[in-house]
Amino acid sequence: MGALYAMIGIGLTIVFGVMRIINLAHGEFVMLGMFAAFWSQKLWGLDPFLSIVLWTPVLFGAGVLVYRFLLRRIIPGGELNTLLYTAGLSLLVANLALLLWSGDYRTLPLAYAVTPMRPLGVAVPVALAIGFAIAGAITLALWLFLSRTDAGRAIRATSQNPEAAVLMGIDVERVAALAFGLGTALAGAAGVLLAPSLYLYPTVGELLIVKSFVIVVLGGLGSVPGAIAGGILLGLVESLGAVYVSTTYKDGLGYVMFLLVLLYRPSGLFGVGKAG
Amino acid sequence: MTRRSAVAWVAAAALLAGLPLVVKNSFFLHVCILVFLWTVLGEAWNALGGYAGQVSFGHAAFFGVGAYVTIVLFLKADVAPWWGIPVGGAAAAAFAVPFGLITFRLKGPYFSLATLAVAELTKLVALNWEWATNGSTGYLVTHLPPLRLGGLTVDWETKTPFYLAALSLLVVAMGTIGWLSRSRLGAWLTAIRENDEAAEAVGIDTVRAKVLTLALSAFLAGMGGGFYAFYFRYVDPDAVLNIGLSMEMVFIAMVGGLGTVGGPFIGAVFLTTVGEAMREKFQVGHLVFYGLFMMLVIRFLPEGIWGRVRRAIRRAPAVEVSRGAA
Amino acid sequence: MALLEVEGLTRFFGGLRAVGDLTFGVEPGEILGLIGPNGAGKTTVFNLVTGFVRPSGGKVRLAGRDVTGLKPHRLARMGIARTFQIVKPFPGLPVRENVTLAAFLRHPRRSHAEAAADEILGRLGLAARAGTLAGQLTLMDQKRLEMAKALATGPRVLLLDEPMGGLNPAEVDQASELVLGIRASGVTVVLVEHVMKAIMRMSDRVLVMRQGERIALGAPAEVVRDPEVIAAYFGKRAA
Repeated sequence: MGALYAMIGIGLTIVFGVMRIINLAHGEFVMLGMFAAFWSQKLWGLDPFLSIVLWTPVLFGAGVLVYRFLLRRIIPGGELNTLLYTAGLSLLVANLALLLWSGDYRTLPLAYAVTPMRPLGVAVPVALAIGFAIAGAITLALWLFLSRTDAGRAIRATSQNPEAAVLMGIDVERVAALAFGLGTALAGAAGVLLAPSLYLYPTVGELLIVKSFVIVVLGGLGSVPGAIAGGILLGLVESLGAVYVSTTYKDGLGYVMFLLVLLYRPSGLFGVGKAG
Repeated sequence: MTRRSAVAWVAAAALLAGLPLVVKNSFFLHVCILVFLWTVLGEAWNALGGYAGQVSFGHAAFFGVGAYVTIVLFLKADVAPWWGIPVGGAAAAAFAVPFGLITFRLKGPYFSLATLAVAELTKLVALNWEWATNGSTGYLVTHLPPLRLGGLTVDWETKTPFYLAALSLLVVAMGTIGWLSRSRLGAWLTAIRENDEAAEAVGIDTVRAKVLTLALSAFLAGMGGGFYAFYFRYVDPDAVLNIGLSMEMVFIAMVGGLGTVGGPFIGAVFLTTVGEAMREKFQVGHLVFYGLFMMLVIRFLPEGIWGRVRRAIRRAPAVEVSRGAA
Repeated sequence: MALLEVEGLTRFFGGLRAVGDLTFGVEPGEILGLIGPNGAGKTTVFNLVTGFVRPSGGKVRLAGRDVTGLKPHRLARMGIARTFQIVKPFPGLPVRENVTLAAFLRHPRRSHAEAAADEILGRLGLAARAGTLAGQLTLMDQKRLEMAKALATGPRVLLLDEPMGGLNPAEVDQASELVLGIRASGVTVVLVEHVMKAIMRMSDRVLVMRQGERIALGAPAEVVRDPEVIAAYFGKRAA
């Protein structure tokens, strides 16, 4: 689960890094990915681990469109306006989904994934294992993209220093569109991969966005490696917390960590990112 | 405020107070009560969000604290609502002080996210602290204490007493924000909104001003929560500590007009009428329109409906003044 | 006794020492110029003295009273005001309201604060701009507004961070007049400036910094002959 959360977190952190936007609608993109996986299996019999190939580029395109037609004119109005705007977008998308698909809890069972694998005697759900592997591969591919290609380097340069990036002749508008598309695609892909392992319902985004914020803040806003580390850390803390603290307050641990890190280590636990 | 506008406000309040004598339709009164309650909450949020520019996503926490304190005092200590509601507001204000001291160490969007986290933690505590909150079951009010006013026994089964109570809260809230907008504290808040560091440099204790305003805002929101508890006679974490409530307060202030006294009223009318109509039409997902309207308002009407109207009204004289000076 | 005393002031950012063991005093009624190459720590000194950054070590005293580490608003109340190198107006508010907000510090009643603001706007040549939104001013007027806001807090010491930065020669002369006028009204001035000619002409004494340390302090004419100063500005060979 940690790797999938990390993937959602990376999407969020890239968008924040390049545009200084805290995108509250990020969780809704994950939800869309989950429903895309659900319907492609239901209607066309497409396995989620195949349909991801289709949906990742579609969500990338959707992200670029959202940026071009919705966000681009709002961003100059200030970060709080943008924050509220994405909150509105989140409400809109989640409730459209409610209208279209109702609030029912659905599942996406896979025939081959009923019995868990038992490597070393520990039960591991097959769907989660495959999802984990694909998420790892995507994260690796992303890392190569960010470090080896011109477009990827432009993204990293812009998130490190937007003014310098402009001076160096980077087309910030294009980089922003690319980054937003990438963030959306990562969220959507994570959604597709999560679909067989979680309940699907239109407001699932709320739960996921909170977790991904915790992850991103733990690792330092804007930092990709930080998001990966944050994802793993949150997974650990939640499972250990359930054992050693209490199951009822397990969900609270994430918030407490989130607040403590924001207050005392605003650049993240690993000091790589930069916040406020 | 000019003398004429003061007279206008008093006349409007008196007219509204007389309304139940004429209109007996209880659904209409119900809608009015909702509008008043939402206006109070919108005003509360606006004090901090509109004047001081601090966007809180956690105001449900104050509403919830007010609701719980009021109802627990009533059920366990027989404290009547008309005492319990202000005490609930005071409790919310007291809760706001540590809340603010923690969250105001952060600025801008980080502050907003922190308020969200604190509010969710508050809800989690309410869900699990059975002794005080009765957990997810919540509390139910089965009867209200008898009250005699001037020889008349108040009939709690009609809407009229609630209507008048909500109207009183509305007058308190609008009066408070009206005072704030003309006070030195209000001026300081606009300075903080415009530039926090520059405000500090000209001698404004920004943290103190923000915490004070948050407490004031929480007091109003907490009284709204207390009123809610008695009007709907039911309190549980999902009803009074929901993040959706915080978002609705944001919505009301934004749609009506940030940093205006009249704005939240317009926002509340809008939210109540459109919202209720949508709720009837679509069982689920009526919040679609909140989201859509929030986006449209930010994109095309960032000063809100009331803000825009007020500017249109004031424009003509303002131009003449500047011409006279030049 | 010096009005403002700085003793052993030190500040580290991570491992980097931005200001190290800096000591100086500002006499009542003087203009003290603070110069040094980029990165010498001049703005950090301002931030330390005005409470925007907490010192890692050392003391700041105002009229003999220890004010080290107090918050900016406390220091403003005690009479230390500042301007920012990158101006920080309240951009969405009119000029007059900008200054009124600052004047509230000494005049709790709005009518009094507005009267004080109008007086200062007149003095700094901004009266005609009173109704303009601060964000729409020219750079020169923004610098004036910056000074007007600081003055409206009724300071004893005013720290000006590059009030002439980015101005053309004619505007530099106007800004010099403003600074001299402020001193003439009884306010002690500490001035960071890159426009050498102006600072040498206006300052009673000049403090030269390099890499966070004081390398010279004295009358402008003495300081420019100091070999260390020459080395700092023109490189070792010239010295």
